Amino acid sequence: MTFFTIVVRGLLRRPVRTGLTLVGISIGIAAVVALVGISRGFEASWATGMKVRGTDIVVSNMGNALAPKPFSSEVRDRIGNLPEVASACSIYADLTSVEDASMMVVSAREWGGFSWQNLKLISGRMPHDAMEPAVVLGQTAAEMLKKKIGDPLQLETKELTVTGIVDGGAMVENGSVILSLALFQNITGNEGRINVIDIRATPGMSEDEVKQLCNKIDAIAPEAKAMVAGEHLGNSQAFRFISAMSWGTSLLAVIVGVLGVMNTMLMTVFERKQEICILLAIGWKPGRVIRMILWESALLGFLGGIVGVIIGTIGVKVLETLPAIHGMLEPDFNAELMGVAVVLSVVVGVLSGLYPAWRSSRLTPSLAMQG
Amino acid sequence: MKTLLWLICTALLAVSALADDSASDLAAKLGALQQNGASVVRLKMEVQGTAKSTLQLQIKQRRTRASTEVVYLVLWPKERAGEAVLLRKTGDQSASGATFTPPNTVRTLDSSQMKESLLGSDLTYDDVVENFFLWKQQAIIGTEIVNRVSCDILESKPGSGQHSSYASVRTWVDRRRDVPLRVEKYSASGQLVRRIETTRVVTNDNKQAVPANLTVNGPRQGSVTELNGSSIKHGVSFSDREFTPAGFMEVTPARSASN
Repeated sequence: MTFFTIVVRGLLRRPVRTGLTLVGISIGIAAVVALVGISRGFEASWATGMKVRGTDIVVSNMGNALAPKPFSSEVRDRIGNLPEVASACSIYADLTSVEDASMMVVSAREWGGFSWQNLKLISGRMPHDAMEPAVVLGQTAAEMLKKKIGDPLQLETKELTVTGIVDGGAMVENGSVILSLALFQNITGNEGRINVIDIRATPGMSEDEVKQLCNKIDAIAPEAKAMVAGEHLGNSQAFRFISAMSWGTSLLAVIVGVLGVMNTMLMTVFERKQEICILLAIGWKPGRVIRMILWESALLGFLGGIVGVIIGTIGVKVLETLPAIHGMLEPDFNAELMGVAVVLSVVVGVLSGLYPAWRSSRLTPSLAMQG
Repeated sequence: MKTLLWLICTALLAVSALADDSASDLAAKLGALQQNGASVVRLKMEVQGTAKSTLQLQIKQRRTRASTEVVYLVLWPKERAGEAVLLRKTGDQSASGATFTPPNTVRTLDSSQMKESLLGSDLTYDDVVENFFLWKQQAIIGTEIVNRVSCDILESKPGSGQHSSYASVRTWVDRRRDVPLRVEKYSASGQLVRRIETTRVVTNDNKQAVPANLTVNGPRQGSVTELNGSSIKHGVSFSDREFTPAGFMEVTPARSASN
């Protein structure tokens, strides 16, 4: 019988209890995987949205709201005059309820700007001009609003016509209502106001040069902040709050898992007192007993981590199919997240086993006689 | 002994006066936050009763210390688009108003009709035009935790010459942010008539915390109204015509005064 056989048998001695503990720690890890995966996916989706638009820098003032604060459209001209800026596109992005949908991204883009170029028509057509009362819908937005080509869409005080359904190449783009900036400004009474500027830097600029360009833009446009595309969402206090909430909730679930494993391992030590004492009597050093308990809890953590990753992934996939949130989630389940979750689970297992292991090391061979 | 009693009574009176001052200050602060000039609000109103109905609304309001003018305009669904309600209240006088149903039906509302339902919701016309924080009698009657937030309970009662369909209103106020988290309105017999719960608080364009989502339970059995605000814009310029029945027929976007 090897050391590891003893470890495995220790866990299999009470299969129901081990199974329930496993479920406890798995739920904690599943929460980590699901919440952090969704939060990271949201960030990654924005970054993808920027990439498909060919945006190098985003100028906005995220503040603590989900939608950026508006500023004068004159800022775009100031930035567009910089020699390092190949092109700039003004945008008014808003999060608002549209018809019976609760919250949707309404993305109003400068007519003729490069931010229209990534939109691939699936059906219908693009608006004919900047003031045509028309919108195009990302495919997810069309599904959510139950709209097809030719249907009316009420936006603020104006009824517009859906002229096209597009594939924007990213979840955020596909979930958006897209229209001309001039039309949107007219509808909402926001003439001369924008809240995002997408910028393409001169081709061939290095990462450092793009960052230097951001500093240059910040100097001439103090109304907003220039960020390298993809990093801008991290600047939003609201997103940072959501991210912190994800980790906070996950941590709570993990703490519950820690307590579960600790309880199981303590029970194991108490129940196997005689066995441990015999092991000490036949020459096992206390250190080896400690290692045995720690290996058991680490194994429990490892298995909990694997099961948790599977439950978390499947759980989010099931969530994605629910009609209420269909198309709104694009979780980022990368190998790094899975690895971190399993390592976290093992660390949780080892930490939970420390106290029971210490208790086991205090046993003496003579206690075996007492039964 | 007499001196001691006199001291205790004086102290109690002083404490009570201080508490009243604090209630009046709080009410004045909340009242002023509500009567904060011209603004336009966009919100979704969902009424869940025997049938579910959803409306997208635009609210235009001009609120000053002395008067309140509010227009509720239905933007969506198409079959109800253009329906509007105008409500007016000056000082302590009773509110009045008018409703408009396209293409050209105008019905005037007098003070006796202020208990009617606003666009089929669990709110009445009175609920949206009346600012009970401006009533004369204000008192803090206790504290309570609402949604894990410690709140002062402010009781407002109309004073002489102030007309309302309610005998008293209790507001649970989050003192850290000065936001009402719950409002209960009572009839003269002390019966709870209407409860309004704040379910989401946001910071508006004036950097003030305001309720964004509300749930309203009224006397109608099994009916609940949810109001989900999606935007608010202050410092908006309105023409006087926009607050007349004739102005209902022209739906225009609200423009910032600076635009």
